[in-house]
Amino acid sequence: ASDNAGSQTPDGDYSRKGADTCLACHEDAVTLAIFQTKHAVPGDARSPFGHGQLQCEACHGPGDEHSGRVRRGEDRPPIISFSDLYATDTSVENAMCLECHDDAIGLGWHAGMHSNDEVACADCHNSHAARDAVLQTATQAQVCYDCHQRQRTESLKAFNHPMLQGKMDCSSCHAVHDENVGTELVRQTVNDTCLQCHAEKRGPYLWEHAPVSEDCGLCHAPHGSNHPGMLTRRGPLLCQSCHSQSGHPSIPQDANGLPSGVPSQFLLGQNCMNCHSQSHGSNHPSGSKLMR
Amino acid sequence: QTVDTSDWVCEFCPFRTGHQADFEVGVGSVSDDSAYFDNASGLGEEGVIGIVDGSGGFSSDGQQVEWTLEDLGLDARFAELSGGRQGSYGYLLSYREIPQRKFITTDTIFERSGPGELSLPAGWVRAGSTGGFSALASSLRPRDIESDRSILGIGGRYSARSPFSAFANYRRQQHEGTTILGGASFSTSSLLPVSFDYTTDEVDLGVRYAMQNGFLSLAYYLSDFGSAGNAFSWENPFASIAGAESGQLAQPPDNRFQQLRFAGGFGSRATGSHLSFTAAAGRIDQDALLLPYTTNGSLDTALPRSALNGEVDTTNFAATFTTRAIDNARVKVSYRFDERDNKTPREVWSRVITDSFVSGDSEQNTPYSFQRLTLSMSADYDLLDALRLSGGWGRRTVDREFQEVANQTEDTGWGRIRWRFRQVLDIEARGGIAKRDIDRYSERVAVQMQQNPLLRKYNLAYRYREFAEIDIHASVPNRPVSLTINGFYADDSYSESQLGMVSGDDLRFTADLNWAISDRTSVYLSTGIEEISSEQLGSESFSTADWRANNDDDFLTYGAGLRFLDIGDSIDLHLDYTRSEGTSRIDMVTASGGPSRFPDLETTLDYLYARLAYRRSERLELAATLRYQRFAMDDWSLDDVGPATVPQVLTPGAEAYDDKVLVFGLSFIYRVGNAAGSNRN
Repeated sequence: ASDNAGSQTPDGDYSRKGADTCLACHEDAVTLAIFQTKHAVPGDARSPFGHGQLQCEACHGPGDEHSGRVRRGEDRPPIISFSDLYATDTSVENAMCLECHDDAIGLGWHAGMHSNDEVACADCHNSHAARDAVLQTATQAQVCYDCHQRQRTESLKAFNHPMLQGKMDCSSCHAVHDENVGTELVRQTVNDTCLQCHAEKRGPYLWEHAPVSEDCGLCHAPHGSNHPGMLTRRGPLLCQSCHSQSGHPSIPQDANGLPSGVPSQFLLGQNCMNCHSQSHGSNHPSGSKLMR
Repeated sequence: QTVDTSDWVCEFCPFRTGHQADFEVGVGSVSDDSAYFDNASGLGEEGVIGIVDGSGGFSSDGQQVEWTLEDLGLDARFAELSGGRQGSYGYLLSYREIPQRKFITTDTIFERSGPGELSLPAGWVRAGSTGGFSALASSLRPRDIESDRSILGIGGRYSARSPFSAFANYRRQQHEGTTILGGASFSTSSLLPVSFDYTTDEVDLGVRYAMQNGFLSLAYYLSDFGSAGNAFSWENPFASIAGAESGQLAQPPDNRFQQLRFAGGFGSRATGSHLSFTAAAGRIDQDALLLPYTTNGSLDTALPRSALNGEVDTTNFAATFTTRAIDNARVKVSYRFDERDNKTPREVWSRVITDSFVSGDSEQNTPYSFQRLTLSMSADYDLLDALRLSGGWGRRTVDREFQEVANQTEDTGWGRIRWRFRQVLDIEARGGIAKRDIDRYSERVAVQMQQNPLLRKYNLAYRYREFAEIDIHASVPNRPVSLTINGFYADDSYSESQLGMVSGDDLRFTADLNWAISDRTSVYLSTGIEEISSEQLGSESFSTADWRANNDDDFLTYGAGLRFLDIGDSIDLHLDYTRSEGTSRIDMVTASGGPSRFPDLETTLDYLYARLAYRRSERLELAATLRYQRFAMDDWSLDDVGPATVPQVLTPGAEAYDDKVLVFGLSFIYRVGNAAGSNRN
């Protein structure tokens, strides 16, 4: 016997034979794929198919009425569905998942934007899939882009993290269950997150570049850019937004500096970084101008 | 509710037992060399490729082993092994390689003469500008600008039937290759092919204690970075003053970040209230030996210290409280505090300008610190079953040291309305304003930095932002057809800035149409549009504004795809096509040159993917895959810029991308073991 302790579990009687009742009708490949997943492991007492557990009805709720006889012309009484087609209120859906997963992710989840926007667990997760697409690096981004369309658009820009190629996933940077509270990032800050892979830019340098120490996003567009280095704008104008010193930093570089005119060292190649190449900071005693 | 499950024998449940595996093996061809498409995918080297993919596992009543192989025949390969006893312990071992390719059109005159050293070729003739490099043409040799990143991961977790669980993860990233760095001499520079070899080790350890209505966790994080060298030197190809025939750059210093994090969460289902918090304390340190001021022996002087002994303390606090205690309402209050306290010692330094001259100035290093505090409150109220009103306010303050603005406060207010009509229509509109104010913009600090005192840096300046967003999700009742539209607009005004960024607009629109025509057939259409523009002012006379630049970035993407599964019960067809077009325009009006417009920076990406699979039996499948990729770019910073185009800069002559690659593959997929099928007969 199982004590179904969930206070939010819908009312109703459970079926007489559990999954065997359900499988009498639901024997399609999509449904049966659940038995390839971690939800269907008899040896794990906490799995829905663990010994004494409620099997299909652990997630779909009491199914006696749903599985009973239905008069011709009448609709079959609904059961908790995680499909877009057969609507169950998101809060009911999520409550079923959080019955078991509340400890692991739920308490961060409640603090996060996805919970606030009433995103259903099943909007991202497919618990019947042998390999849930959102848990695979190669396919995760496509799941996220279903809602995050702006980020999908940005991912198609010329310079990007390798999302399109499926070699990096959104969860490399984002903690979608908001474990870090209020950042939706896997580390405490934007910079801590970026520096996981770009630790060479951490310093602390002898000569720091102030925006680098504070927020990589001040110069870089992490979801994609049409400018090399995923910069938000082209140099030298990006640099000249903040650097106005007398002399070449304040002199405008216009189209006359292209090869058809008088080729300018402040414009072509790597523009400012032709000389100030240590834009993330320098540990050289003569590097205060980030040239060493 | 107590349920008697004693008769629930699950005799028709096809539980997974034994071995299962899918292997995909085949050959393919890549039509052309392309740095752009080789990047991250390994599909940019002309020739034959091997197709080796697979996944599988073993399961026996809770004991599980899973493995995955991806693209083993390419430079972008991945392998993973995971397993354990579900509900008790688990382990993971993974390895990934990611090729990072920039240019295969680059040349250099430099020769590697040792680790971290570049020398000039024999017979090189120095000159004051690139036009005088008489030996240039005969000295250029191809040098690709590329690197390889490999990531090894090892992890384990333990979650026995006790309140305690624990995890331990280790990750090593190695990043090795060549990048371009500018090596400046006094008024000239050489873009150098600089080799680097970085290693980053990361460790995550943690324990977690679960309670009836909450948890507490304690975690440790280490990120330890090391570079194979701390310097890079080169021989200067330009004529230089005596003693400055070579230069030296510093490589990134070895550094280490350690952080301890305490977190927890508590909830009450009765009131629908939850509290989550995290507190973290970290330290970054680096004690790499410093290089001398210069390699020019006649100018070098003693350093004030031999190593920086840089040290930064980080502190983070965050808490969020949400409650549904009030009928039809949800309230959320969040607090976050982030501090970077740079305790690196300050010294006075005597810079040698590009190994040529002693600057004569005494310069103090400025270890930047900041404190950032964010407080936000929001409430949602269900006015009707289908109508929700929301509103919120947030304040973000940033205190900085050694910068023009010491204290900055941004207040944001927003409102939102969401209307849902059954399962057919869901419309959400949101709008708000944000006002970023500062205590004052210190012209004294600006002048110390030799800045024009009228400049306002865009991240420090006063800013007024208006923004609005709309989401529409429409579905056909009881039909798998959906249309999703998002529109976003933001308008930034830096009205107190006389120089620097003065305005910015951001307009974005996306739309998706999905139709699952049947269980076996689905199609989608998608599009995205972005228009990002900004205006900035500058002063070449070092007084009031006398030049203006307008940046306009437009981006359009559209795509379509379809899936036909089980055609004739044996054929699957999968088609995707995406095109994206980017245009960046820069218009300038200057006092000295009048109006001018740069040639448009343009990018065009086409991507076509098709896969046809024929299922010969339950176990054997044959597949043909075709990828067509094209990327073209017009970029004035690279177009027609050869090694000697710019008199003062020796460039590697990189060409803007104009790449086209056709990849064709034939493979077979073989399944081993049991597939999920009904146990009913």
